[in-house]
Amino acid sequence: MTTPSDTSDDGILAAEYVLRLLPPRDESAFEDRLVRDPVLMDYVTFWATRLSGLNAEVAEVKPPARARRQLMERLFGPTETRSFWQGAGLWKALSFASAALAAFLAVQMMRMPEPTLPSAVQQLLISEIAAEDQSLRVLAIYDPSEDRLTVTRTAGQALPGRALELWAIAEGAAPVSLGVLPDDPSTILTLPEDLRSQVAGLTLAISDEPPGGSTTGAPTGAVLAAGQVREL
Amino acid sequence: MAQSEDIEDLISRVALGDRTAFSSLYDLTSAKLFGVALRVLNNRANAEDVLQESYMKIWRYADRYMSNGMSPMTWLITIARNTAIDRLRATREGADVDALADRLESRGPTPEQSAVAAGEAARIVNCLDQLETDKGQAVRGAYLQGLSYAELAEKFKVPLNTMRTWLRRSLISLKECMEQ
Repeated sequence: MTTPSDTSDDGILAAEYVLRLLPPRDESAFEDRLVRDPVLMDYVTFWATRLSGLNAEVAEVKPPARARRQLMERLFGPTETRSFWQGAGLWKALSFASAALAAFLAVQMMRMPEPTLPSAVQQLLISEIAAEDQSLRVLAIYDPSEDRLTVTRTAGQALPGRALELWAIAEGAAPVSLGVLPDDPSTILTLPEDLRSQVAGLTLAISDEPPGGSTTGAPTGAVLAAGQVREL
Repeated sequence: MAQSEDIEDLISRVALGDRTAFSSLYDLTSAKLFGVALRVLNNRANAEDVLQESYMKIWRYADRYMSNGMSPMTWLITIARNTAIDRLRATREGADVDALADRLESRGPTPEQSAVAAGEAARIVNCLDQLETDKGQAVRGAYLQGLSYAELAEKFKVPLNTMRTWLRRSLISLKECMEQ
């Protein structure tokens, strides 16, 4: 516990710390204490919060475009022509799918008071491939012991005269087609052999394609939905 | 300026490695952070470097923001401000009495913590206005320009120890004012 006099000293020390007025040695010593002392952290938060009001006086200045370009290159490497798989659609779909999957799993937990998996069975993997607006939702479950990818479409369908094609994307690799989804809402697919060892890291995505699927070996239409594979 | 919740949402996606969210976060907030860095450094080339370095930290430590649960814009600004002050002091080696005294010491990364609430701007300005002009200006100089005690003493033409005493008293008054 801090005594009242410690308290007032630390209160001012915290202000000096936030203002960056402490010499390096004192700053390090303060940080060592800060990690362990929640009261001290509260003081820091108090000052950081109050002083940050002064930022209203700081004018916004648009940085030059090269700063953005250099930053992205430093972080993510040189940009090739951006493949649309790296584009906004896939990531938006993914972040949505995570939420949808969490909701799905929460419901499953309630419905299944006991695990229904035989104990000998290997860990199942699951992916909910969902569109942001829920217009398309596909659940994929992979059973490694049988190498079966069960794909169930629970919402949405292909546009008239178009097809839905399912793709697997390993990190840093090009999408590999797993096939066109049939009209039947449920189907069983087989994963290409070289993907079987890395199922847990895969992203599954569905694109809008001409009937019969893409003829180029790569997706040609919009990404409609995507999801990451994770252990169930 | 974007809504706080939008920025918070973007940061939470950046924490998951979402590059598109990172781009959006940069587009929404970089003008403010560049302004903060420029204010401290007063040099565009250095401020550009600091801006990039700040966003590299943001990319790396976005998950830390989640656990802090603090105001997103202030968290971002704190990173930029601290990075700018580090740069300022690194490029001003020898000019700073405090740094001279501790030349052999190196400092670790500054924990990022900060929060801003609506109304704080008016509040701090109001409380600073209740101080004598010079004393309010000294606090602003420390926060907005990253000035050290030695630099403040020089700027206001008072001995170093007098500046320390001034500023600590000002901080005590400010604390009382802001707690009311």
